[in-house]
Amino acid sequence: MEKVELLAPAGSFDALTAAINAGADAVYFGVEQLNMRARSVNSFLLSDIKEIASRCRKGKIKAYLTLNTILYDHDMQLLRGILKEVKKHKIDAVIASDIAVIEMCNQMNIAVHISTQSNVSNIEAARFYARFADVVVLARELTLKQIEAITKEIKKKKIKGYSGELLKIEAFVHGALCMAISGKCYLSLHSQNASANRGACVQNCRHSYTVTDTETKEELLIDHEYIMSPKDLCTLPILDQVLASGVNVLKIEGRTKGADYVYTVTRCYREALDSIAKKNFSQEKIDGWMKELSTVYNRGFWEGYYLGQKLGQWSPVSGSVATEKKVYIGKGTKYFSKIKIGEFLIEAGSIKAGDTLMISGANIGMAKEKLETLVVNGEKSEQAVKGDKITLPVSAKVTSRDKIYKVVSTIDA
Amino acid sequence: MPNIIHYRNRCIGCGICYELQPELWRMSKKDGKATLLRAVKKKDVYVLELTRHHVQKSKETAEACPVRIIKVN
Repeated sequence: MEKVELLAPAGSFDALTAAINAGADAVYFGVEQLNMRARSVNSFLLSDIKEIASRCRKGKIKAYLTLNTILYDHDMQLLRGILKEVKKHKIDAVIASDIAVIEMCNQMNIAVHISTQSNVSNIEAARFYARFADVVVLARELTLKQIEAITKEIKKKKIKGYSGELLKIEAFVHGALCMAISGKCYLSLHSQNASANRGACVQNCRHSYTVTDTETKEELLIDHEYIMSPKDLCTLPILDQVLASGVNVLKIEGRTKGADYVYTVTRCYREALDSIAKKNFSQEKIDGWMKELSTVYNRGFWEGYYLGQKLGQWSPVSGSVATEKKVYIGKGTKYFSKIKIGEFLIEAGSIKAGDTLMISGANIGMAKEKLETLVVNGEKSEQAVKGDKITLPVSAKVTSRDKIYKVVSTIDA
Repeated sequence: MPNIIHYRNRCIGCGICYELQPELWRMSKKDGKATLLRAVKKKDVYVLELTRHHVQKSKETAEACPVRIIKVN
């Protein structure tokens, strides 16, 4: 079996480092407002492309830029500016759905990946896009059988992408799903004038709703479920079947997620892929990875439409059902590089020896560890409170932008 | 008279402000974001004192902004 590529989301430098450390083969990211997470507070700027490219090269992974919103005439110059930076810093490809982006990339000889927003659901659509692109991200609503038919046909008919190599097929393997087909949703635009297709989705689908009988005014709460909010996609238990469908790239969703999420999910899928390659993928291992995956943000899991489910499975809650949560306690203040010790200022709450702490930072990515000994203001102590400075071993440079959290179980709470 | 305030760096360039109030807004060809005409830049924020006949319409524009970065006060 050919080696498949594990593609992780990078919405911040913390997440980018976490993805590299966790064993991703590639990351995707967005800059400025022309990507599907434009609303996200921690989006990258045009000027960050250089640093992203350099970190990816150092980490020996590929980097793809998402440019997959609807575009207007007034966006063309920004688009050109972004693509110039892409070219200059040798970003590996652009993920696009608008023809303007595809055309401009072709002109500039930048590799194109067709976004899932293009809703490619059959071989003819894939063949059409192969004239412009090297990778096609399929619609998330296809079954593995349908995907297999497409990948087989590509091999049989030797359908080549823009670069001359066989067209590659990418599928989502993990993360949030949208109630609308291929993300083409107008709910947010309708209610708050916020177009999901310009990256401004306000996630109305994640709320609970009642149906009102207009005659009797009687309200019905539907099945106590969030009927427009699908559970999150998780294909880990069927990852061997996903690979057997012939896909070349496996995408993890989550550019708004933190380093802890990106690290945990990427790590689990990396280990699972390696395990499948070594032919020792087992139920016991799957159980272990599922337990890990459950610790980070999720709305409950299902395997999406891949096994032929006709309707979505709806989430039982509006937010996460993760078994752990992170509570912010402070930020980095100093790093003693010779002895690899980081100093953090406690700004909220308190911690005690034995607590599990999580650090998120651009250099460390994500590090999680149970703190056996707590050193407060230079002395061994049982507890640290607001205003205290704690020191602990950290393998990478700590900066003032690094954040430290206490990891708390949500089951006991 | 109240001011209209634009937190420009969080603009996603959807163009609704320009659609509703072309007399006050332009879409920048340079970076694709909205530009509040004749506004004064204070740090990262753009401020313009409104004339009376612009107030009501400006409130509607502020309400229509999908990322809520236009304020009238």
